[in-house]
Amino acid sequence: MDFSIRMIGVASTLFWILLVAFFASAVYSVKDLHLSLGEPQLTLTANSSVIISIPINIENRGYYNLGDFNLTTKVADLNGTKITEGSTFIPTVERGCELIALHNLTFRTDMLLEKGIYYLFNDSSFTITALISVKLAEVIPIKASSNFSVPWGAPFYNFQLGQPIYEPVNQTHVEVVVPISFENHAPVEINGEITIFMCNDEGTLAGQGTSTITAPQGTLYIGEFVLYVQVSEIGQKGFFEVYFSTQFLSYGPLVIPYG
Amino acid sequence: MAEESGMRSFAKKFVFNAIKAMLKTFIFYGLYLFVWSFFAIFESYVPNLHQTVENFVIVYISLGIFRDIMSDTVFQYFFDVAKAFFVIGYLTLALNGGIINLLYMGITLTIDLRFFLTAAILLSLLGLSRSILQAINYANKKAESTSPNF
Repeated sequence: MDFSIRMIGVASTLFWILLVAFFASAVYSVKDLHLSLGEPQLTLTANSSVIISIPINIENRGYYNLGDFNLTTKVADLNGTKITEGSTFIPTVERGCELIALHNLTFRTDMLLEKGIYYLFNDSSFTITALISVKLAEVIPIKASSNFSVPWGAPFYNFQLGQPIYEPVNQTHVEVVVPISFENHAPVEINGEITIFMCNDEGTLAGQGTSTITAPQGTLYIGEFVLYVQVSEIGQKGFFEVYFSTQFLSYGPLVIPYG
Repeated sequence: MAEESGMRSFAKKFVFNAIKAMLKTFIFYGLYLFVWSFFAIFESYVPNLHQTVENFVIVYISLGIFRDIMSDTVFQYFFDVAKAFFVIGYLTLALNGGIINLLYMGITLTIDLRFFLTAAILLSLLGLSRSILQAINYANKKAESTSPNF
């Protein structure tokens, strides 16, 4: 019996040493695990969806493989309505290995058109929920989740057309100067064109003008359109149809009444 | 004279056991410091991690010292059993049943240590069964040595 008991003791001690050594080294390996996000890339697909691809760089310099790496992100608007969701799964990240995976977020064009108009002219914020799960040494599951808010700056914030100023050119035509202003709150410079069509209250086109715009990030843009229109076509009241065309998007018409 | 010799033998045994306990304590504490060096980097992320581990080590070492002092008596097995129960109870409580939730800089971290906890509990139960077997064996031997030979 003494021998059996001694053997149980030896086995117990051995397994304790193995368990503690394994656990300590698995936890210690976390410090040699590096995760970083690269520069997002924008791609347009054939079915007119916009894909934002975020490269994830995973460097596992620990002692063990990582299993079931999963990254899930969900983008929602201020009301909590889901805009898009993306998930990336890597079955195994071998030890001593460095790999880059792409995390894709797909935005449908119809959804962008539906919601994008609001974001074109209004500041807002998006809520991004990120969940990373991984199995350390392929047996210790760890989950990390975070909610963070990303402010959205509208590229044409407070877009306004001023009162048209009429300057007669000759007996049949008049020069119409339309002041334009907006603030670019977007995180990038806006380059493009704005085209406006001046229509009278019956909807008849009176004239049109195009202006090239360059609005650096965070600046107030002030400019003007010069339109030559026939005197006979101008009414006391009417409306402008504004079309936007930038490096990112095209939108129009935005109808703004005058008079 | 025999009483004095018995007292001396008891004192010798006590001192020997105490030295054995002290040496074991030093070795165990050294091992603890070595293993802790792996976890120390996480001290700032996990609140009370050091305190929790330190408390565990203090109680575990104390039980070990008592066990060694009571060596060669039936009480040493009581301390072995107490140690096994303490490990099971403390790990279950400290690890929150195996699921640890932490909040660090707005990130919610969930660590599932059920595998580790299960393995630790099973090993503790193995230690517990060993202690019970040892106690039975000890009682058996004691009975054999005191019983008259026919």
